[in-house]
Amino acid sequence: MQRHFKILLLVLMPLAVVFFSLSLGSTGYVGLSDLAHYTRTAIQDLFVKELTEAPMEMEIILWQVRLPRILLTFMVGAALAVSGGVLQAIFRNPIVDPFSLGISSGAAFGAALSMLVPLIPINFSAFLFGVLAVGITYVVSYSGVRTSLITMVLAGMIITGVFTAFLTVLQYLSDPYKLQAIVQWTMGNLHTASWDKVQTAFLPIIGGLAVIAAFRWKLNLLALGDQEAMAVGVNPRNIKFALVGLATMITASAVASVGMISLFGLIVPHISRIVFGPNNEIGIFANMSIGGTFLLLIDDFSRAVMPFEIPIGVFTMILGAPLFIYLMRKNAVNWNA
Amino acid sequence: MKELIQIHNLSFSFGKQQVLVGLTANFYAKELTVILGRNGSGKSTLFNILSGMERQYNGSVLFGDQDRKHIKLGKNSPLRIGFMAQFHQTTFPFTVFDVVLTGRASFSRFAPRQVDLDLVAENLRAFGLWHLKDKPYTALSGGERQLVLLCRILVQQPDVLLLDEPTNHLDLHYQVAVMEHLKRLVETGTTVVSVMHDPNLALLYGDRFYVMQDKKLHGLEEKDPAVLLSTLENTYNVALTDVQHDGRTLIIPKRKRL
Repeated sequence: MQRHFKILLLVLMPLAVVFFSLSLGSTGYVGLSDLAHYTRTAIQDLFVKELTEAPMEMEIILWQVRLPRILLTFMVGAALAVSGGVLQAIFRNPIVDPFSLGISSGAAFGAALSMLVPLIPINFSAFLFGVLAVGITYVVSYSGVRTSLITMVLAGMIITGVFTAFLTVLQYLSDPYKLQAIVQWTMGNLHTASWDKVQTAFLPIIGGLAVIAAFRWKLNLLALGDQEAMAVGVNPRNIKFALVGLATMITASAVASVGMISLFGLIVPHISRIVFGPNNEIGIFANMSIGGTFLLLIDDFSRAVMPFEIPIGVFTMILGAPLFIYLMRKNAVNWNA
Repeated sequence: MKELIQIHNLSFSFGKQQVLVGLTANFYAKELTVILGRNGSGKSTLFNILSGMERQYNGSVLFGDQDRKHIKLGKNSPLRIGFMAQFHQTTFPFTVFDVVLTGRASFSRFAPRQVDLDLVAENLRAFGLWHLKDKPYTALSGGERQLVLLCRILVQQPDVLLLDEPTNHLDLHYQVAVMEHLKRLVETGTTVVSVMHDPNLALLYGDRFYVMQDKKLHGLEEKDPAVLLSTLENTYNVALTDVQHDGRTLIIPKRKRL
């Protein structure tokens, strides 16, 4: 029964937060009561087929400014969280996230490169370099069945460092206008959200999430290790390869559309494990729901509380760290066991 | 009795260190074969080769009439090989039920079916582990974990079961329970090859015995207690004495100082 309640919460929570987020913005004009009124008349229109006049400004604010941003934020949050959850399961390592394996910094470098030298689309370039970075991390640390998890994290840190250095070189070489764009972008920004961006990110992220969700049971197997997979007649190599590829794809798409949002992909999987347990069958959906909702709330906070926009990447850290520390202490997460 | 696993002239080395040299042995179908031997004698290496984890060896290893290297994993394989290695560490506190359920992973592409859930329940009950099903695997004792892992291997209903010291963390009750269960599996047609340390437990339940010594396997088919004793004394390099009880030979070490 408690399980059903939690699952219901997974579905309802994002809906409530999306609705609430629609009522927030830098203009105080469209608030919660306006939104409620708007929704009621919109629903009435559906049934009664009467032409009621909705104010044009309100339509534009809701449909052209707020909704794309909300959708993009939610997708990015879900993508980073799921990616983190998948990587933690596959590498059997709770301190792994898209950042620590080099995907994020690789993707950031790729995106910056294509901003500076627009040969290939930003999205694609981010993906390419994200894959390259995680590929190097994997090759550097690979040593057969006995690939050490610590070696892998160390390799990831080094590769992250290298691509961050490359990014710095790019920034150093670029002219002030492009530099500003790159810097703002690397800090993570959502205010440039548009239907265009939603459209670009939609297919890789939603498609990736769907395929990962289909393989959610296999993640439990992979989380026990390669040897334990072979012991029951499953060759883990191909599934691992596919899932790491998908995790890279959704991370790179997220990074390409809104920039770097660090630590988010590390923290959310922990929160969802604390609430729902380690079983990836539900964990994948929990990561989607909690990741999307959490990033949306953080974005709401940055939009509503501050008179000016602060990059989301900064806020995920400032708000995420204390929450995570609180949960960690309260639940006595002990990884030595 | 049919020979199921044929090993011919098997050699393996870690770098320059030779572990197995010219090892030749046959294991028979529907028998419980026990491999005894000292620590570091190469038993686990042989186990890794048989289980398919280690592929860089010379010589031939045949299962049925197929080369071990060519046997594919999965439910379509004509011969399902399940194995349980000695060490396992897990990071995440999966429940016991979920851990055992992963044993059925090769039977479904995505989600597990009712058959899978039923088999997990059946096996957990058979080992008296049902009450632990919702407990985190990481919170169990070493022995309980070992039983859970054994259940996990068994839910795939393997034709061949390879075990590396299946009783090493278990108390006497579970040692007997596991060996009895293995015996039942053998009676219903499973082939079991197990590395073991306790010669008495091995002699009590095993059908055929080998000792690993000098990088080779030596058959231990003598029924004469004196020969058995001297072979084991030689293998373990310790003075032994035998006790005859109800027509069975028990082997116990001699104390050096009395």
